[in-house]
Amino acid sequence: MPDIFISAPEPKAEKKEEIARPQTPLPEFIPTQGSFLSAYLYKPRNVEFETRGSDEKIILFLRQHLVVNSKWIIVAILMVFAPIILRYFPILSFLPGNFRFVAVLGWYLITMAFVLENFISWFYNIYIVTNERIIDINFYDLVYKEVTDANIEKIQDITYRMGGVVKSVFGYGDVFIQTAAEISDFEFPSVPNPEHVAKILQELAMSKKEGS
Amino acid sequence: MIPILGISVWLVVKIFAILAFLIYLLFALVIVRQVRLMTETIQVGFETPLKFLSYVHLTFAGVVLLLALIIL
Repeated sequence: MPDIFISAPEPKAEKKEEIARPQTPLPEFIPTQGSFLSAYLYKPRNVEFETRGSDEKIILFLRQHLVVNSKWIIVAILMVFAPIILRYFPILSFLPGNFRFVAVLGWYLITMAFVLENFISWFYNIYIVTNERIIDINFYDLVYKEVTDANIEKIQDITYRMGGVVKSVFGYGDVFIQTAAEISDFEFPSVPNPEHVAKILQELAMSKKEGS
Repeated sequence: MIPILGISVWLVVKIFAILAFLIYLLFALVIVRQVRLMTETIQVGFETPLKFLSYVHLTFAGVVLLLALIIL
């Protein structure tokens, strides 16, 4: 007599396969080489930082959009031409000639410092996303250096904001990252393609969490 | 020349100007040091021109200080 009740084989192996889902691939963005002034680089090859681990790969290299520099550039241009304009308004006429000459040189010295300070502050305020962590490198007033980082798996929430005419036209915005790390909030202000940045971060965080 | 307590006003101005340029020279040195620190922290392929710029700035500050000492 044939067996009526035959228990079905336990689908343990299948369950295991279900749990071990393939890692979500990162969106297919094209790696960018860019110039030294680039504000958005995906998988850059020419960027290195001092605390980089041996198997750590840079996914994103970001800094504020080039457009944010327009204000200080305009001020710097005005500062360059100010002594020429002042010829028509001789407010320094009470000074002897040699003092006037040194005053103009001093003015150009201040202009140069203004340009250097603003350029370096922009150039070295960098946000890096690697396959392991997010890093925020800040230099304040040419004197203070601050490097903060958080592991990718500690990311809890990512939001981005784009608004206003200038930001919409030039395609940049702010990315906010909440983490469970010691420094809970990361802000990438005025970075190009914030929607790409948020998506890449989400995908990275998901793949890290699934992988662990 | 406008003498105040027997000292020329322009001499006082000269001393203040030289002091200001000396302080500025120190600031330019700080910039050179900071640029070196930044270029060690991160390399993006613009380190040499940036260091050069900081040295140009330092030289300019030194030249202006020297000119102030000579001309004023």
